[in-house]
Amino acid sequence: MQDKIKTKLEILADAAKYDASCASGTAGKRSAKKGEQGIGSLTGGTGICHSFTPDGRCVSLLKILMTNYCIYDCHYCINRASSNVRRARFTVQEVVDLTLNFYKRNYIEGLFLSSGIIKSPDYTMESMVRIAKSLREDHHFKGYIHLKTIPNASPELQEEAGLYADRLSINVEMPTEKGLNTYAPEKKLNEITGAMGKLDHKITEHKQSKSYSGKRPPRFAPGGQSTQMIVGADDTDDKIILGSSVSLYDTYKLRRVYYSAFSPIPDASIILPLKPAPLVREHRLYQADWLLRFYNFNLDEILQGTIDNMLDLDFDPKMAWALRNRHEFPVNLNTADKHMILRVPGIGVQTANKIISIRRYRTLRWEDLAKMRLPLDKLKPFICVLDYRPPPHLLDSNHLSQLMRPSQQLELFGAAT
Amino acid sequence: MINIMIDTCPGFDQWRDAARRCILNDIPPDQILWKTPDQAQDSLFTAADELPPDTPDEFSVSKDFIDLAETVMCHSDNARFDILYRLLWRIRHDNKNLLKIKTDSDVMAATKMVKAVRRDAYKITAFLRFREIELDGREHYIAWYEPDHYILQRAIGFFKTRFRNMNWSILTPYLSAHWNGQSVYFDSTPDKSLLPEQDDFEDYWLTYYASIFNPARPKKKAMLTQMPKKYWKNMPETRLIPDLLKTAEARTKEMIKKSGGGV
Ligand code: SF4
Repeated sequence: MQDKIKTKLEILADAAKYDASCASGTAGKRSAKKGEQGIGSLTGGTGICHSFTPDGRCVSLLKILMTNYCIYDCHYCINRASSNVRRARFTVQEVVDLTLNFYKRNYIEGLFLSSGIIKSPDYTMESMVRIAKSLREDHHFKGYIHLKTIPNASPELQEEAGLYADRLSINVEMPTEKGLNTYAPEKKLNEITGAMGKLDHKITEHKQSKSYSGKRPPRFAPGGQSTQMIVGADDTDDKIILGSSVSLYDTYKLRRVYYSAFSPIPDASIILPLKPAPLVREHRLYQADWLLRFYNFNLDEILQGTIDNMLDLDFDPKMAWALRNRHEFPVNLNTADKHMILRVPGIGVQTANKIISIRRYRTLRWEDLAKMRLPLDKLKPFICVLDYRPPPHLLDSNHLSQLMRPSQQLELFGAAT
Repeated sequence: MINIMIDTCPGFDQWRDAARRCILNDIPPDQILWKTPDQAQDSLFTAADELPPDTPDEFSVSKDFIDLAETVMCHSDNARFDILYRLLWRIRHDNKNLLKIKTDSDVMAATKMVKAVRRDAYKITAFLRFREIELDGREHYIAWYEPDHYILQRAIGFFKTRFRNMNWSILTPYLSAHWNGQSVYFDSTPDKSLLPEQDDFEDYWLTYYASIFNPARPKKKAMLTQMPKKYWKNMPETRLIPDLLKTAEARTKEMIKKSGGGV
């Protein structure tokens, strides 16, 4: 007979792998001090990748479902009540043991736990909280814990979860209410956002009270909250998707919105499309999300001039913007302000800072750009420096888009810079 | 010409003592051959000379140089002794700001070594795997790890902090470290046979690793940039990779068939 834990692990890790929010976030530093009990540490940055799977993803956390039994029937989900998938359920103790033993062998940074809903949202959430509590209180575990909370579980349980977890997340699942009603009939948008709002309130409260009272208040999800939505299961366009991200970032101060390209699941519901959403769309959404958060782009700029409000799949959104706004270029790297430097395709935040610090002491030349190992071919049409200007026809040329067309393969792995 | 033998590993203290004497006796870099015991088989090998005499004189070097030297010294390339001595010599005789000139070829060579060492010292914190044994009635964790450079001492802080209340031993080909919850004991004659053949949870870990791979999205190249093959020998799960990749396509087809899709 095969080991029972092994079978459960197979089923419940497999079921969790479609979740995109994998990396462990930052939640400050922490470790057992001399003479203190416990195991584990947070090193301050994002968690260490302890391995990589052949799909190129970082393995940082033990990412499992507590159970894949579920009383709900969300169409996009392999664990929905009406699916024929193999089912399994871990006990609280089993998850605690696996986490600790994996951690002690240096396989992981911590636990990422989500779950299907058994009996009731509260019942489920209560078991999840018990796992986190046991790790923290019985074993003094100082590693990372991310709990995917159940949106309509009671506020008391959500709050308790925040005491033990470094990060909490609630999936909005679909970018629109209509999408949610169609695909996840038991879930309600206002319940999801309501729970996010409460968590945000708690997180802020705990952060602020630090400065008033002499004693440190208990930690409350110091890594903040994040969410995930599925793209490409229905016909929602990128403008609406990014629009809901913007409002989630603004309203609930989310740390991250994860996009997950819909991919066909075994034993799928018939209302789902049969085709996977192109992965590159997911990638473009991440790039656009990045531009919105760190490059001072706004939504309209990113989507202005696109067809049907969909991001261009051939070009990263920054390049696409540059190609549509050629009148803004070339940018003189010796005089332009940071805002404009950041808009040059091929220049990221770090490079922009470097440029600004170097040019205080010397006027930039082509040779300096080469030494910084910038992608010169990509930059060429868009910038000028002391001894270089793009030939006038280059920016006007109809071939420019052709010239800038990336080789698909490479492009898939690059971030927007 | 003077032959100097460095027979400790990585050899910082020994190098520093020799370099100090050489600088004070005005021996230029091209007059020194730095030797290590592993070159003894070389046909051109000449025995080590006496070190130049110690003198009571002193000279100081910047903290930047010491930091650099400490890191470069962990690099496995024996050229490190020579590069560092040349830098030291040139800092004293040509330009005391030499280290600031990032495009100088000696500075660049040293910087490259620093990067390699830092990366290696990071990778051990990620890729090292413990196995559990029982020792004197207590849990004890043992790892065998083959780093590219001499980084065990640099990386030890991470393990001390994270696994403070555990007893563990990390064995590498050149040095081992043993932690008893209080202090580290280093031993330069590591014994690989201490590593147990197997571990109860390693099987679960392999199961986990195989289960989180999405066969519809193999990206071997992306994996290899983060986890080059040279590290695989330290990681039990990597032995699953060839098979996971080989069966990925068939598994995906099967999955699509089951989902009723005709894609
Ligand atoms: S609630 Fe919906 S998404 Fe979550 S496990 Fe159940 S069916 Fe899947």
